[in-house]
Amino acid sequence: MAKNITIFTTNTCAYCVMVKKWLTSKGHAYEEVNLDTNPERQAEAMQLSGAMTVPVTVVTKNDDTQEVIVGFNLAKLAPAVA
Amino acid sequence: MVDQASTQANIKVYGADWCADCIRAKDILATHGVEYEYLDTDHSENHDAMLALTDGKDEIPTLVFPDGKVVQNPDNAKLNSLLGLKPVTSVNFHDLIIIGAGPAALSAAIYTTREDIDTLLFERGVIGGLAAVTDMIDNYPGFAQGIEGLTLADNLREQAERFGAVIELGEVTKIINEGEFKRVETTSGDMRARAILIATGSDYKKIGVPGELEYYARGVHYCATCDGAFYRDKRLVVVGGGNSAVQEAMFLTRFAAHIDLLVRSTIKASEVLQHDLQKHVDAGKITVHLGTQTNEIVGEDKKVTKVIGTNTKTGETIDFPTDGVFVFVGLSPNSQFLVKSEIKLDEIGFILTDQHLQTQMPGVFAAGDIRSGATMQIASATGEGATAALKIREFLEGYPHPVQN
Repeated sequence: MAKNITIFTTNTCAYCVMVKKWLTSKGHAYEEVNLDTNPERQAEAMQLSGAMTVPVTVVTKNDDTQEVIVGFNLAKLAPAVA
Repeated sequence: MVDQASTQANIKVYGADWCADCIRAKDILATHGVEYEYLDTDHSENHDAMLALTDGKDEIPTLVFPDGKVVQNPDNAKLNSLLGLKPVTSVNFHDLIIIGAGPAALSAAIYTTREDIDTLLFERGVIGGLAAVTDMIDNYPGFAQGIEGLTLADNLREQAERFGAVIELGEVTKIINEGEFKRVETTSGDMRARAILIATGSDYKKIGVPGELEYYARGVHYCATCDGAFYRDKRLVVVGGGNSAVQEAMFLTRFAAHIDLLVRSTIKASEVLQHDLQKHVDAGKITVHLGTQTNEIVGEDKKVTKVIGTNTKTGETIDFPTDGVFVFVGLSPNSQFLVKSEIKLDEIGFILTDQHLQTQMPGVFAAGDIRSGATMQIASATGEGATAALKIREFLEGYPHPVQN
């Protein structure tokens, strides 16, 4: 299990909905950072992902290593939170 | 859960201790109690023996099955299937599998589940498809003030699930005709269904110019509702002149300081959208450049700095300084997984169907954007979904086509 999951989202992004929906269906809790309401954290999302897009999901594992998943990418998201 | 594992003793695994895929393969065998003999290829006699079996192809793990079959580095799904490690419950048999969960798929599911046809949907991306990533939908009947794409998608999903539709998040990679049942290979394992509806829709096309791939998601974007927020008070270029390009350019004005709309020929968007566009032009937010071909996306220090275009009449080269580019130049079909199947596609890759929306493979139907001749409208997609559902019911009830009305 992941120690902590943070998702950067916006109000209008459908892929963000999918990430949240999938995590919830698998019983994972997450913290959401909405960039429409917290635009000051945009640079942080860009730095983590290297891209100008959402969703960006940051999974902190039990050994404190981090994995960053860009977009709704189950092939990466599922093993990251396993 | 496991059926034939015990019959697969004496499998040989050629591999090395440092090889992650070897560990993975051995894990799968061990987990399922399959006996195997491990031969470390770091010992040259084992390595030589392996190469003799593989015609010199040096790849590990190499698995040798009791019947002499040699397989190199199979993925988990392939290995499971080689071992006969399929769950044998009836859960993997369905009346209908729908590939996709956009408007056509969900509409079909509303109809089939109400008829008690057991229906499983597969979605590899967003439930609601392209409709869900569209900011505002103004031409879908029944919503006088328009409806947000996300809301429409969620309503369709809720309606289908209310009658028992099950949506699995995963991808279908192949459809195989096995007679009464069609087998579909998926990222969740193999499934079988009496009928299949392909409603995988379409995706925004790439322009195919230098810089487009290089700056993908780092200045070149195909989803305004996803990535627009990164361009607060910035300059943008939007490429395209259809409904999507105009609609999304207007959406982007809520973030961007100014937008250059590059249109290769003339604006093809509906009159109403053109009228709305004019308001943004008058307000100085959008500048429309007709007859402008997009040739190259140029950047510096990993950031897009300009788009180079050509005036198609004068041949003059024009630079458009910008911080980002959004591309809406038409749609391409999500049919890659069908390219080598017996399901016939048209020259662009859309699925050919008969008047019953049935493809060349009996029992396999197609509806919505993916169908050759589709009009790429949400209202058409939902209509086709309903039609396909009724045709599928006829098929499942054993009516020969064509059914007389």
